[in-house]
Amino acid sequence: MSERQVVKIGIMSFAHMHAYSYAACLKKLPDVDFVGIADDDAVRSKDAAGRYGVRAFRNYEEMLESDVDGIIVTSENANHRRHVVLAAQAGKHVMCEKPIATTMQDAEAIVEVSKRSGIKLMTAFPCRYHPAFIRLKQAVDSGELGKLLAVKSTNQGQRPGGWFIDKELAGGGAVIDHTVHLVDLMRYMTGAEPARIYAEIDNRMFGGDVDDTGIITLDFTNGIFATIDASWSRPKSYPFWGNVNMDVIGTGGIASMEMFAQKIDSYSDENCRHAYVYWGDDMDLGLIEAFARCIREDTAPPITGEDGLKALEVALAAYESARLREPINLLE
Amino acid sequence: MQRIAVIGAGTMGRVHSEAYSRIPNAELVAVCDSQIAKAEELAGKYGAAAYADVKRLFEDGGFDVVDICTPTNTHLDYIKLAARAGKHICCEKPLARTTGQAMEALRICEEAGVTLFPAQVLRWFPEFRKLHDLITSGAIGEPVEVRTSRCSAYPRGTDDWFADMKRSGGVVLDMIIHDFDWLRWCFGKVRRVYARGLYEAGIPHTDYALVTLRFESGVIAHVEGNWAKAGGFETSVEVAGTKGLLSFASKDSAPIIIELKSTDEGKVGVTVPESPTRESPYYLELKHFVDCIEDNRKLDVTAEDGVEAVRTSEAALRSISTGQPVTLA
Repeated sequence: MSERQVVKIGIMSFAHMHAYSYAACLKKLPDVDFVGIADDDAVRSKDAAGRYGVRAFRNYEEMLESDVDGIIVTSENANHRRHVVLAAQAGKHVMCEKPIATTMQDAEAIVEVSKRSGIKLMTAFPCRYHPAFIRLKQAVDSGELGKLLAVKSTNQGQRPGGWFIDKELAGGGAVIDHTVHLVDLMRYMTGAEPARIYAEIDNRMFGGDVDDTGIITLDFTNGIFATIDASWSRPKSYPFWGNVNMDVIGTGGIASMEMFAQKIDSYSDENCRHAYVYWGDDMDLGLIEAFARCIREDTAPPITGEDGLKALEVALAAYESARLREPINLLE
Repeated sequence: MQRIAVIGAGTMGRVHSEAYSRIPNAELVAVCDSQIAKAEELAGKYGAAAYADVKRLFEDGGFDVVDICTPTNTHLDYIKLAARAGKHICCEKPLARTTGQAMEALRICEEAGVTLFPAQVLRWFPEFRKLHDLITSGAIGEPVEVRTSRCSAYPRGTDDWFADMKRSGGVVLDMIIHDFDWLRWCFGKVRRVYARGLYEAGIPHTDYALVTLRFESGVIAHVEGNWAKAGGFETSVEVAGTKGLLSFASKDSAPIIIELKSTDEGKVGVTVPESPTRESPYYLELKHFVDCIEDNRKLDVTAEDGVEAVRTSEAALRSISTGQPVTLA
């Protein structure tokens, strides 16, 4: 495709709330045509199409038969495989929401079908596009932190509802939902692979079918160690949805990132609530822009399906470790 | 009135001596340090006798209580000396370098009929006491997940003893033993420990550890021990429960920050946050110790607590070495 050509993108399923943010980004970007929405849920499809002033396709097939270039798959985790396969077989490029799947078999199938179909497969890890993370990675790359020693990270949120707490559809709870973001950032930032995983996981916060609390410890191939707090530990009364925080410890110093620290404290008597009003950049915009760019410029996607698969592998190993109460080696 | 002999005139020896000097029913009578100049300086401040030789100190006697503020690996020897002389003992944390030593200290003091107080001072820090009281009063329902963090630059002791892992045990034994004790106070017995850290990494004046604890109660705790900072001191605690969240960060809790400009005379500008309280936690801790001895009352922190804190630290060190979780029987 030539430069400045308009890239046509559609969204498959609005089951995941990130679809709404991605849709808003598609509307904002120049040289991107948000062609429409297809969804198993006709009401949801019509509602979203109305909201963004785009077409509601009757079904996935109708959207895939159109001249759309790229598809964003934002269905329930367990349905990613079905939807990516459909899109890939129709020759459409895909950006798949994280986690890429709920099982390694599904993740491998997604990667495989994309290769076979010759389409670009990107995994949606928006945190890579947050300016605070970009700056953190710059500090690491510049060498000013010295040799990296350890990483401490959290992705703690409020508990979502709906299919997120349905084990079949989500593949798990807080751990599969949150771990993948930080694993991806660590892999991208360090260039190393997770080699060994240990985790303590439980569901004592809400007591449902899925986990809500997890501390995951990782050893990387380059010798650094890290922990991830993947939990739904922010109560309903918390002033914000959650956090993505990362401390990087090096021989030359420490860099601490609090991704959503760019905020205003708001206190309202209307609802007697304290809220953080975030004023930093929208990282989703960078993500969607990158997806459109790799299609327009016919380059490799900056975040691959393998990246999605590697992150999922850690989350699944964490569950296995918690069950066996022993570390899991990923390299054997 | 309890007459006190402090052994070790380093940082903690100075802090404890200052506290004793203000406790009404305590009198600092002797300070012992192999570096006699340090002993003399500290003793001189409070009108106490200075000793370089601990044998001489015990030969002269004239005191009821020994407060041990020496490097960790020497604690057991001094505890033995003091117990044999029938003195009550306050021992700076960690109680000993190993769990075996700590248990031996406990046994010896029991046999000698003397009090052994492990100076786990965190329990007298008002923020940690308040957190404990909130947690145990059910303010956030059932506690589920806890995070603590304790960060500073690498400590510099006499002979740089903190840098010798055989003597200090590094950040895991010397620093986050505070949090281990506090966590046990709040959440009970630890079942399982997994840790990664730089204990055996041999990086000069850098130690860092991330420890996961699983309690019998089901609580999961993540403990950060950080001796890799450029400067300053920071702690934070977060406790998530079924009905809410408690969150504390020292960096957000300093009611006074003094910022000084660089001067033409070459004095470098500094910004120092402070959290002053009416009484220092060390004073409250040692006053409790002295009062318990005077009134023959049970201590709020017992020698058993001191042993358990060392046991948790040692389990974390073993986990770092072996890469395996350590289950505590």
